[in-house]
Amino acid sequence: MTVSTVTPPRLAGSPGRGEPRRRARTTLRRLLPLVPALILLVVFMAGPILWSVYIAFTNETLTGSASVNSRFVGVDNFVKMFGDEDFRNSLLLTFVFVVGSAVVGQNTLGLIIALLQRGRGRVVRSVVNGVVIAAWVVPEVVAAACWFSFLSEEGTLNEVLGAIGLSQDWLFTAPMIAIILANVWRGTAFSMLVYSAALSDVPGELLEAAAVDGATTWRRLVHVTLPLIRRSILSNLMLITLQTLASFGLIYALTGGGPGTASQTTPLYMYEQAFRYFEIGYGSAMALVMLVIGAVFSLVYLRLIKVDG
Amino acid sequence: MRRAMVASMLAVAIAATAGACGGGASQKSTNGSKEIEVLYKTSPTWPYMDRVLKQAKTQYEAAHKGVTIKLTAVQGENEVYYTKLALLNRSADSAPDVYLHDTFQVNADVAAGKLAPLDDYLKSWADWGSQYPDSVKQAAKGPDGKIYGVPISTDTRGLWYNKDVFAKAGIQVPWQPKTWADVLTAARAIKQKVPDAIPFNIYSTKPLGETATMQGFEMLLYGTPGGTLYDDTQKKWVASSKGITDSLSFINTIYRENLGPKQADAFNPKLGDKVSGEWLPSGKLGIDLDGAWTSSAWKPTGTKPWPQWTEKIGWTPMPTQNGEAPGAVSMSGGWVMAMSSYAKDKKDSFDFISVVTNKENTLTYSVGSGDLAPRKDVAADPQYTAGNPAVKFWTDLASVTHYRPAYEVYPKVSAEVQKAMEAMTTGAKTPDAAAKEYADALVGVVGGPDKVTSGS
Repeated sequence: MTVSTVTPPRLAGSPGRGEPRRRARTTLRRLLPLVPALILLVVFMAGPILWSVYIAFTNETLTGSASVNSRFVGVDNFVKMFGDEDFRNSLLLTFVFVVGSAVVGQNTLGLIIALLQRGRGRVVRSVVNGVVIAAWVVPEVVAAACWFSFLSEEGTLNEVLGAIGLSQDWLFTAPMIAIILANVWRGTAFSMLVYSAALSDVPGELLEAAAVDGATTWRRLVHVTLPLIRRSILSNLMLITLQTLASFGLIYALTGGGPGTASQTTPLYMYEQAFRYFEIGYGSAMALVMLVIGAVFSLVYLRLIKVDG
Repeated sequence: MRRAMVASMLAVAIAATAGACGGGASQKSTNGSKEIEVLYKTSPTWPYMDRVLKQAKTQYEAAHKGVTIKLTAVQGENEVYYTKLALLNRSADSAPDVYLHDTFQVNADVAAGKLAPLDDYLKSWADWGSQYPDSVKQAAKGPDGKIYGVPISTDTRGLWYNKDVFAKAGIQVPWQPKTWADVLTAARAIKQKVPDAIPFNIYSTKPLGETATMQGFEMLLYGTPGGTLYDDTQKKWVASSKGITDSLSFINTIYRENLGPKQADAFNPKLGDKVSGEWLPSGKLGIDLDGAWTSSAWKPTGTKPWPQWTEKIGWTPMPTQNGEAPGAVSMSGGWVMAMSSYAKDKKDSFDFISVVTNKENTLTYSVGSGDLAPRKDVAADPQYTAGNPAVKFWTDLASVTHYRPAYEVYPKVSAEVQKAMEAMTTGAKTPDAAAKEYADALVGVVGGPDKVTSGS
């Protein structure tokens, strides 16, 4: 769970300047034991990934005549995608989902919980940690089932709200809010752990000095604590953004992307096209676009971390 | 990113590596014995195929020493089953040898070369000639005229209604609606006089998949004058017609006037179980546009035994739009037992199919599932009609029934139909707008403007 520092891998031993040959041989000798693992990785990871990149440019389907005579169609899938209203809708929903549940929800809540825990007794910390992490430990589908029984028409929430006449079918009337809440609930633990670790590195003297200088709690947070943990914030943001961008199981089990397409984020739309309508080529093209979006996000965050460092 | 691509990458990876590494489990020949893998679907509310196949396995293995039948069940709804089957069929190593197949998926798999023609084996199987009516034999006929599956079930569709609800609403039974307007009138009367009952159920959303297209939309469309999805004479898909718009309008009326299920229920993939297991028996639903098999849940061996159903429930054909001849409409589909083109022991595989579809097993299946029997000897068996006074009615609907244009692109056309219906359910679009969107989308789906036409 150490994510606060990103150090480039460094080879042990400093290479002598005048002996490139020997260095090459040493490297080779060190790589040799890795060869079987590398081959396995290439076969089982790189192979399928490259294959899915390739089929993104074909009209491959899971069945039907196109599955035997699939051909290269260039960027047709991508042209189709951006003319596809449902796809654009899914991108927008994905954006709302990522910003709402990860960037704002998990991130802020995780930070707040971590801040509040500072300096509290061991018992309080263990109990809070236990409760928060429990949500993270349960499998995705179980979390979705819990939220389903909480929000569904005959669910717990409605039983309570029914008393004041506010009951409604939340998964139907507010599906995006439902999946965002569920994802915040489940993912906050991760941010909290990252921030707990980062905050423990903030020197107490600095905060005390600021307090002596008359800084309010808020000013101490904004001007002392946050700048000190900035890199952790960015690392955390990057990780949870990428995780949330591709989130599938929770949404699939909770709303199935519905009603209609009201909560159909891109991973769900991708699944529907690839495995329900058997358009595996089109689905792979979408996966590729998702990959690019994820990569752009990571580059931006990494850049920010570097600038900051 | 890793929890990630769960959806696509995982299966893609499986598909890609299975071929290279031979990960398949079927066809293992250990010490000369053969194994035939059979894939089928099952669920807690639909255990009928499971029962039949276990029975057939015992019979077959007793008669064929050295051949083992490996039954692989897929848990879940139809949509889940189609996906699972398509993925397993990607590779010869993972493909099952014999499988239960929905007739509307057959042509796509024929085009993909996944299915083996059965004609050579059928020739020497006496039952095929003597027990299957010609219309039933067509169920899994490919574009090349060959037969790709032996029917285990067929079905018809129409209206079920709850007589208690009708009594409260002051509607006379037996109810015999002659037009769509009669159906709407009855639904409106129920809404007004029996406020705690849902007046009318029609399947109309994507989560319900083909059920929505066939039980919902097509039951309307094929009852409009000249209404069809595919023009057989021109050999083109019908992109727009008055029938299409009118059918969408009907669904729109149902939901805008709150005559249908609540939105959340309309989107529930298990709506069918709710209808037969809860709503109809408890008088929470007035009219249900559904399949012949609906009453099977209420048998003593069903999932919701309800002996009084024969008195409490009525059934009647779905009328045509304005009572046009022949006055009623029905749609038929069904399931077949099919053989994979990858099957190594084709003769043994076919022998197993012929055991599954023999009289005894077909009877067990039909009596259990409530599907109509494809075999003449089963249809004539007293056990088949015993305890189900409706079975004759549903069987007779075959005289007005239609079949889906189950060409290769049909599943995609069906998906567009579901989209249009769903817009009616939510009210996101007007019927005209949804019909226009369907017309536009259809061109891309069926492969070009020269493959579509506009109907009357």
